Amino acid sequence: MDLALIIEATVKVLVVLGFTCVSVILIVWMERKVLGHMQDRIGPERVGPFGILQTVADGIKLFMKEDLVPSQADKVLYFLAPALSIITALVAMTVIPWGDSFEFFGRTIMLHITDVNVAVLFLLGTTSMGVYGIVLGGWSSNSKYPLLGGLRSSAQMISYELAQGISIVPIIMMTGSLSLAEIGRAQANMWFIVPQFFAFLIYIICAVAETNRAPFDLAEAESELVAGFHTEFSSMKFALYFLSEYANMMVVSGVAITCFLGAWHGPVLPGPVWFLIKLGFFLFCYIWLRATFPRLRYDQLMSLGWKVLLPASLLNMAVTAVVLVLKG
Amino acid sequence: MLETVLFSFFALTSVVCALGVVFHRNPVHCALLLVGVLLSLSGLFILLNAQFIAALQVIVYAGAIMVLFLFVLMLLNFRQDPDVLTPGAAKGFGFLFGLLVMVELLWTALSPNGGEGGGLPAAPPLPADFGSPAAIGKILYTTWLFPFEITSILLLVAVVGAVVLAKRKFA
Repeated sequence: MDLALIIEATVKVLVVLGFTCVSVILIVWMERKVLGHMQDRIGPERVGPFGILQTVADGIKLFMKEDLVPSQADKVLYFLAPALSIITALVAMTVIPWGDSFEFFGRTIMLHITDVNVAVLFLLGTTSMGVYGIVLGGWSSNSKYPLLGGLRSSAQMISYELAQGISIVPIIMMTGSLSLAEIGRAQANMWFIVPQFFAFLIYIICAVAETNRAPFDLAEAESELVAGFHTEFSSMKFALYFLSEYANMMVVSGVAITCFLGAWHGPVLPGPVWFLIKLGFFLFCYIWLRATFPRLRYDQLMSLGWKVLLPASLLNMAVTAVVLVLKG
Repeated sequence: MLETVLFSFFALTSVVCALGVVFHRNPVHCALLLVGVLLSLSGLFILLNAQFIAALQVIVYAGAIMVLFLFVLMLLNFRQDPDVLTPGAAKGFGFLFGLLVMVELLWTALSPNGGEGGGLPAAPPLPADFGSPAAIGKILYTTWLFPFEITSILLLVAVVGAVVLAKRKFA
């Protein structure tokens, strides 16, 4: 194998991994700060300028904490579950393009780790594997609240995965490609949010539900289930769950940007900068949603998923197909 | 070389996991080992140039169907005692059908039809777009349209049946 390829791949993997870890620290800080201001508080401000090092301090605290394992837990799965959770989130990150390709010492460098030709399906596959991390975390703790949280999240994620997958299908039909880089390139002139606004709406609702974030955070509803599936997890195992939640948020936002918001396209500024701006906007919206909406009841969640979002996404797909055929 | 290594890896994992599914006592562990089987099979599909099938294998089987299995197992919460799940007759039938499949596979592998010195005939060269979603879609909606539609009706019948059973009022 050729050396340049290995170097290129290593650099890209390290960049994405480093970016993910650093930005999770920033997002958590941003979440606490933004939530604070939205609730008429100040949020963290003591550690570092504007409290920006608060998350670092929390991370160090988590490292120092005792790693408790419940005596009746399923030991193997209890160790495996948080790892599964973070692995799937990071693997999904590999196919998201954050810029167009460019020439560098005669090599064409693509700004994504890999572009498999079924990237969209690859993404759906890895996110659907991500359920296991949460479900097994809930089950292996051998405790009632985590079990309920795990059960809830498995039903919830299966329900919303369907509508989420189908809402991207019109984009695939319009570009005729399953590669995310191709989909991104196809939006040089028009972002797909314009012709596919409904698909975008369905996608973002499902994306919030897929990542178990408010108002769909029933898997860890603290007022009913203590902390849901990760009640029994402490120290770095808890931190891994935390990390994977935010990494997953970045993944689904990245897909939304690539499929609907013109990927890296934008005036004046270079591609990766635009990608980051859009990513920041999405993550801000996540926090905004959390501060605004009350949590759904479980039956409301299920009926929204199966009776509204799924038929709407199917209808949208059918209409897109008809329009595409009529246009020829 | 790399292909041989990968093939041996996926083949070995799938066999080991499959044995685990059969011999493990804890139903949840069995379900997870089955997920392992499905994932390594999808690796084998990729080695066969069938990325689309591989992706579907992960999304549909490992990601959706097995999660539902796990959901039910967790809801019933059998810690041990999987005997509840397999009554004696089921074991007998399982053994019978397993034997049938085994005989069939051996029959196919050992019958001398075309290949050099027995075994399977050599595979024809693959078309360039083999295994791509477009190629599969084209074949599915032209050559195999009838079986495809029949299968979808079969699935629809199963869905309707499940709804009817679930909606039944137990007095």
